[in-house]
Amino acid sequence: MVRKTSGKIVIVGSPNVGKSLLFNRLTGSYVTVSNYPGTTVEVSRGVTKIGDTEFEVIDTPGMYSLLPITEEERVARNILLKERPDVIIHIIDAKNLERMLPLTLQLIEAGLPIILVLNIIDEAEKIGMKIDLHDLERALKIPAVATVSTTGRGIDILKGRIEEYVRAKG
Amino acid sequence: MYELKDKPDPWPQRADKDVGDILEVALEKIESLLKNDYGISKRAIGLLLLQEDGEIASLVKAKQPDAWVKIEEIVKETRARYSDPLSYIITLRRQEEASRIVKEAVEHLPHAKLSFKENLSRIMINPLTGMPLLLLILYYGLYKFVGTFGAGTVVNFIERDIFEKNINPWMVQLFNLLIPWQLLRDLFVGEYGVITLGIRYAVALILPIVTTFFIAFAIIEDTGYLPRLALLIDRLFKKIGLTGRAVIPMVLGLGCDTMATMVTRTLPTKRERIISTILLALAVPCSAQLGVILSLLEGNNRALWVWGGVVSMVFLLVGFLSSMVLPGDAPSFYMEIPPLRLPKLSNVFIKTYARVKWYFTEVLPMFILASFIIWIGRLSGLFNLMVKGLAYPVRWIGLPDKAAVAFLFGFFRRDYGAAGLYDIKKAGLFNGNQLVVACVTLTLFLPCIAQFLMNVKERGMKVGVGISIFILFFSFSAGFVVNLALNLLGVHL
Repeated sequence: MVRKTSGKIVIVGSPNVGKSLLFNRLTGSYVTVSNYPGTTVEVSRGVTKIGDTEFEVIDTPGMYSLLPITEEERVARNILLKERPDVIIHIIDAKNLERMLPLTLQLIEAGLPIILVLNIIDEAEKIGMKIDLHDLERALKIPAVATVSTTGRGIDILKGRIEEYVRAKG
Repeated sequence: MYELKDKPDPWPQRADKDVGDILEVALEKIESLLKNDYGISKRAIGLLLLQEDGEIASLVKAKQPDAWVKIEEIVKETRARYSDPLSYIITLRRQEEASRIVKEAVEHLPHAKLSFKENLSRIMINPLTGMPLLLLILYYGLYKFVGTFGAGTVVNFIERDIFEKNINPWMVQLFNLLIPWQLLRDLFVGEYGVITLGIRYAVALILPIVTTFFIAFAIIEDTGYLPRLALLIDRLFKKIGLTGRAVIPMVLGLGCDTMATMVTRTLPTKRERIISTILLALAVPCSAQLGVILSLLEGNNRALWVWGGVVSMVFLLVGFLSSMVLPGDAPSFYMEIPPLRLPKLSNVFIKTYARVKWYFTEVLPMFILASFIIWIGRLSGLFNLMVKGLAYPVRWIGLPDKAAVAFLFGFFRRDYGAAGLYDIKKAGLFNGNQLVVACVTLTLFLPCIAQFLMNVKERGMKVGVGISIFILFFSFSAGFVVNLALNLLGVHL
């Protein structure tokens, strides 16, 4: 069996959804922050090991849509276009699922390898939202994981999903 | 597992024989023309091209110059088939698809307890509770803080205690000594002098007013209230052909209408942009003007209500009429709602500082220049001629001739004109009715030069000039009607 020993994970999502916290949960302390070439936009890169595979993890600036308006969004899209990631984690605020799903749809449309992360799921539950992950996965045809990045809930499941996903792709 | 090739179809209307087809056919044509690997699917590239994404366009142009010519043609043709921008249509459809999926996968339990923030957020958006809350915010934030404190207490202190008691007499003496010629002396310390009028207006009147306004605005902005206000007002705005999205430029307009006119760019349809531009130029007073007007009407609550009522009615009426006249569909609206937060002092301070600095550096040279132009105008006799000319419509709406000067000032800037009224009121030349009529007319009166230039820049010469001519006639007509109504009803404010 040939094992892949390195891969690339890109985290995307709009601002204020816990993107950087998830990035920190995955990578720990081995992080480099640098300006994206030719811009003033900062991009963080770190490393994580999931199963036997080592991944480079890239935290992108906040984006709302694949059609960019700001420089941050332009940088985020360029990373998606040029970095050829093995997995893209689209992290959203679960209670704002309806408003954030359009970007998920765009990423799927673009043929990118997406895992949807419904973050801050505890707040969604608190306001009485019950999200059926299986229904969501069936409708979108991508994996969906519920997490709380402040407490670490769901992070292990997410890692498992990343592992499965990469293995399924070969 | 998850088959990557088996993508969901976010375009469920593909089979329909409606406009959806045109877009879909165009997209398929573009997809078949794309040959290179762009890192993402051809479909996504095609959609971005249809939405006129400059970066992707130049990428395709560089990689496939031959195909690009055909693609450009397809995009142009497709765009011509829709009255709305393609990006708007595509976004709307995607949102519909997202809503459909959410309906399938999400269940809302009714009796869950809401968090305090969520509760507060709902109180802000619900019309029954949101409207009283809005009035409360306007009363304390705008009337009490900006009107009474900023335009009252602070202005009185700087204007009366500092300028009139100290700086002005001292300057007059100094220039009497320095400059022997009365004519030249007038330029600096005369009735409309650079120091006695221009700098006094800018520092004593406008500075404290805009500072307090920008503080109040920054606090409100920092809490995340504005997007919720947009949702609250959405229903009302739809009646006048706008959506809640237009609330942001309108509220910004209370700060500075010129800046707000530029922000109307964010509105998705041309129709919304034109309606907003008209309303901003006509019925939305800017912070400086608003502050001076609040201080003019201070202590006369009935007059304040009449002024507020008339201006709001004009806003709604003109909005409603222009939405009837201008062609196009009623817009739809959705927007990102950020969480509510406690405002951060450092944020408020930095925002206020930056805005006041920007505003003041724009205003001060303008006021000094205006004093200079008036000085030349008075030397050549042109000033008196124009005041005499303006005195006719001013008399016609029941105001004393002296008010013509304020309207002449109004041509330079809205706030400059309002500040002119301030001096007339101080001289005791207005009764209550006249004060209201003057305030209403000047609120509606021509936008300042900067806003006029912005109107022309954003909307084109024809629309920009058209709006100004309309406003010139409309403002005096409104003043005439208010004056007539007050007199006929025997109201003395």
